[in-house]
Amino acid sequence: MTRITGLILGASFASLMASTAIASDYPTQSITVIVPYGAGGGGDTVARIVSDKLSDELGVTINVVNRPGAGGEIGISEMAAADPDGYTLGVFGYPDNFVIESTREVDFNSDEDLVVLAQFDNMPMGIFAKPNAAYSNMEELQAYASDNPAALIIGESGALGLLNALAFADNLDVVLTDVRYGGGGDLLNALLGEHIDLASTSSMSHDPIVDAGGVPIAFAASERMDMFPDVPTLRELGVDQVMEVGRVMVAPAGVPDEVLARLTEALDAISTNEDMIETFANASLPYAYLGHEEVNEKVEASNVALGAVIEAHADKF
Amino acid sequence: MEIFAFLPNLLALDVLAAVFVGVLIGILVGAVPGLNGAVGISLLLPLTFALPPEVGLLLLGGIYMGCMYGGSITAILINVPGDVVAAPAAMEGFPLTQQGRSKEALYYSIFSSMIGGVVGVMVLILFTPPLARFALQFGPAEMFFVALSGLIIVGALSGSLWKAAFAVAFGLWLSTIGLDQISGADRFTFGERDLRSGISVVPVVLGLFCIAEMITNIGKRASDLVQYRDQQITRREVLGDMTRHKVLLAKGSLIGTFVGLLPGVGTTLAVFMSYAEARRASKTPEKFEKGSVEGIMGAESANNATVGSSLVPLLALGVPGSPTTAIIAGALVVHGIILGPSLFVNRPDVAFVFLYGMLLTVVAMGLIGAFGIKYFAYILKIRMDFIIPTILVLALFGAYSLRNSLFDVLIAIGMGILGAIFKRVGVPPAPVVIGLVLGPMIETNLSRSLRISEARGMSLPEYMLSSSLGIGLLIGVLVLMGIVVQMRRRMASVEAQVEASRKGAG
Repeated sequence: MTRITGLILGASFASLMASTAIASDYPTQSITVIVPYGAGGGGDTVARIVSDKLSDELGVTINVVNRPGAGGEIGISEMAAADPDGYTLGVFGYPDNFVIESTREVDFNSDEDLVVLAQFDNMPMGIFAKPNAAYSNMEELQAYASDNPAALIIGESGALGLLNALAFADNLDVVLTDVRYGGGGDLLNALLGEHIDLASTSSMSHDPIVDAGGVPIAFAASERMDMFPDVPTLRELGVDQVMEVGRVMVAPAGVPDEVLARLTEALDAISTNEDMIETFANASLPYAYLGHEEVNEKVEASNVALGAVIEAHADKF
Repeated sequence: MEIFAFLPNLLALDVLAAVFVGVLIGILVGAVPGLNGAVGISLLLPLTFALPPEVGLLLLGGIYMGCMYGGSITAILINVPGDVVAAPAAMEGFPLTQQGRSKEALYYSIFSSMIGGVVGVMVLILFTPPLARFALQFGPAEMFFVALSGLIIVGALSGSLWKAAFAVAFGLWLSTIGLDQISGADRFTFGERDLRSGISVVPVVLGLFCIAEMITNIGKRASDLVQYRDQQITRREVLGDMTRHKVLLAKGSLIGTFVGLLPGVGTTLAVFMSYAEARRASKTPEKFEKGSVEGIMGAESANNATVGSSLVPLLALGVPGSPTTAIIAGALVVHGIILGPSLFVNRPDVAFVFLYGMLLTVVAMGLIGAFGIKYFAYILKIRMDFIIPTILVLALFGAYSLRNSLFDVLIAIGMGILGAIFKRVGVPPAPVVIGLVLGPMIETNLSRSLRISEARGMSLPEYMLSSSLGIGLLIGVLVLMGIVVQMRRRMASVEAQVEASRKGAG
């Protein structure tokens, strides 16, 4: 064998070994987690809590990077377009990605470009009434709404907020006037100042609303929340509507199998970490871990249900 | 008073260290163009998870207070405001630096900031519940009128009204770019994903104020710009003069406090309102934009007052009014602190230590500021050859750091070039920012008012004037228009006088 051939063979063999070595030694350098929202919000908080524990488990630094804009579209596009080497991941609130891609033209396609690794929390959307409202529960609300079509104003913010409000009106067979708000803060202000009658927002706003005299009508949850045992679910009241925001961690599609396995294994491992579960509880985030397989099942089913609502209201989007 | 029970918590070493370090970081972050409070706070946010809640909160609160003052340092010394709230300080303070009175300007700035800061925090401590309820009354109609008054204030800045109007219109147009929330339509996005989220204020401010300034300075010799031999002035003299302007300082602090309560644009609006009012009430209005310490007093007291009041809706209702307070809210949430009236009941230790600790941040800011002034002035000794590239790099990094977006850097550069052209032509940059900030406020509140009035079965004017607050605000808008018209007449006659005397002397 000539020297050159030997060198070439040796080099290719070495690089082959190196690439498998890199994969099986994953991770060997720091990981970036993209959050498509601003700092301080719910999604950002979840990302930071999880990244903290994950970094301990994997033994490398994890940098959480905020890339807000266009309701999450910018950050999610980046996650989808990142190199699938396992060193760029993302955390966002499902179903933001699904709603965005179903209602406008975007650069990403979740089915093709993203792999969902796990879910951490599950926050149902809720319907809340303003302080001093003429109705304090679902029955009264439905009666009032039927008698006064389009008179009740429901404020909503976020992708799921609008869907929740639309589905609610449909399911109750009433007409509500919906008004869009850019953020939870503005929406709370409007509700508590009695400028709007109802708000479609997540369970995270429960305490500030109740403290100021507002009334939670119901949560669109699959079962009653331990955190708020006094609030009925829409299902209990005869309305089959479940709309929940679940913060998930994703990787760009195409990551090597070994990397995927290591990540899902690490996430499963930290999922029972007591400190982390406590931090979630302290932050009023309902902890609900779903591993790789379960979360993908849930996402598939949920996409179908949400898709139906979006189609029914295609003119709104 | 319950505070005495928590005094030992307040005077704990880690709490005091957090206050001091926070303010120091805040001043630095505020001074460096491109960094602003929100960036500094979000960088340190993860750190606060590991600290006890009061310590973490005061670290962030210290940064917030410090950065309101910090921006004025570079504004005064090199005409580069670190943040839009320091723009009036640049407009008045830089001419003073050019006259060799930089230390004087810096002293006025720090002392006014302290007074405003104290008033804002005291209001936070004493009046949070009623103020929070008052703030809630501002619905879409009321916010629309407030935004309108903000636009009118532009007329109070001097120079050609047409050019100012053009600048505001340009700013308003910029604000329409992006995905419109209410209608869901893409406006002026040309299919570019990055344009969908609109043009952010920070890159525009960096471009129009910092980069434009640096571009126009290229090629100039430093000696053309500033006088190094600084006139001596003592703190006592400055304080003495300030006691003659008690009303001005009180108005600035109160305007800052009340306007700062409003979500969204409170701080920017408060600063310009107070500055305009200082000009209106001044006995020496001709000094404005040529170096008026009254302008500095008005603007700096207002911007620090907004720190305290912007925390009112956050602590009382859990409603964050600005990105900065939203991040502070995030820090609280992670510690399981529920915001709202129950805060004072469930976690009085955290609530009280935070409130009174904010008073300490004003003290720390005063100490660092007042004693640091002789060192700040050394910035002037640095050659322009070093300042220009440093500021340019910092501004570009700052534009990037807002959203980790290269697109924002492009915006900053574009605005920088545009800003240099504006300077040449005499178009003022501040109204552009005012338009950019107020545009969304005007639009969304008007469209919300339309939808709500329909649902309520009222016509739009009926709905807009359905609350006494709304009527009061509309009257306020009309009064403001009258005041601005009067101010412009006065400015025109003063200019005519100056012209006449010059012709007479020449």
